[in-house]
Amino acid sequence: MAADAHAATAFAIRESGRGKSWGTAPRPSASPLWQFAAGMRLVLAGTSAILLAALPAHAASNKVRVTGLSDVAFGAIANLNSDTSQSQSVCLFADTNTNGYNVTATGTGPGGAFELSSGSNSLAYEVQWSSSSGQVSGAQLSPNLPLTAQSSTAVQQTCNNGPSTSASLVIFLRSGALSSATAGTYSGTLTLVVGAE
Amino acid sequence: MTNGFRRLCTTCVVAMLMPGTAFAATQGTLGATSTGSISIGASIPNRVQISKLTDVSFTNQDPSVNASNAQSVCVWSNTSTKGYNVTATGSGTASAFTLANGALTVPYSVEWAGSSAQSSGSALTAGTALTGLTSTATNMNCASGPATSASLIVKISSANLQTMQAATTYTGTLTLVVAPE
Repeated sequence: MAADAHAATAFAIRESGRGKSWGTAPRPSASPLWQFAAGMRLVLAGTSAILLAALPAHAASNKVRVTGLSDVAFGAIANLNSDTSQSQSVCLFADTNTNGYNVTATGTGPGGAFELSSGSNSLAYEVQWSSSSGQVSGAQLSPNLPLTAQSSTAVQQTCNNGPSTSASLVIFLRSGALSSATAGTYSGTLTLVVGAE
Repeated sequence: MTNGFRRLCTTCVVAMLMPGTAFAATQGTLGATSTGSISIGASIPNRVQISKLTDVSFTNQDPSVNASNAQSVCVWSNTSTKGYNVTATGSGTASAFTLANGALTVPYSVEWAGSSAQSSGSALTAGTALTGLTSTATNMNCASGPATSASLIVKISSANLQTMQAATTYTGTLTLVVAPE
């Protein structure tokens, strides 16, 4: 919303300036006073044009937003001998000059480790991120370490128009972890912090 | 107030009925940084696996001496106690532990130990589970950690060897079923 408001404001200013036609107004008379006033108008119009040209078309707010996140439920994993994963497309909006952002993930294991827990037992998982939607793999995330130089295609902060999603989050449970884990029901929380770039 | 209480109670009931979804994903807000979170859940069922079994061959046995063959095998269990039970069945009548050559048969015995490299263990009865066993295996194939975790011992007594016909090959199959505990 803020980005849209800025864009609308910038557009309105440009239209206002463009609509003015100070230099072509009909001349009511050729008196010296009128000639002075006309000259002043030209000077003001020129100054306004210079100021307006210096304004950026869209003043980036350097704000970001992540939405469209869904809980991940692997359910009962029958085959412990193979990797399993779940991916989701999310909305990542970045109102920066380059639409750039970074993302940092932390789990609920010790030190923010990507671990699920079942009592005192733990089950490690992996997190991958892609800056495009509909992906089943991406760049590996490490706990507490930002993945930088990402770029968003979202044009609205909740992806209500334009692309409905703009990034992919993929959670992996590897066979090595599955086969060495104690039977049980595991759960945990993954937190994503997105920053503007 | 009443309506509000009803809505609150409805929410409580739904939450109680869906313990796995008590935590719902949170969405980020617009800002210099934006934070969202999701819950992740997975259930790992009880599983066991037996591996590293090898065939047993008794050849040129002296009938006056008991024959015994012991092998170390891998049994892995992922239960909280790493517990398991084992049930053995033979290929004889009613799953009896017997070897045969046509109509000729000879009985054998089966023992199991919950640790590797043992030459004796608990006697197994065909079709009856030996319970209360615990595995030390940390990998389902014993590819890492202990290389083996249990012992299977097959024996033919001297008395039974003496009933066998010379220069005759007796064969049979022993099947082991391991289950988590």
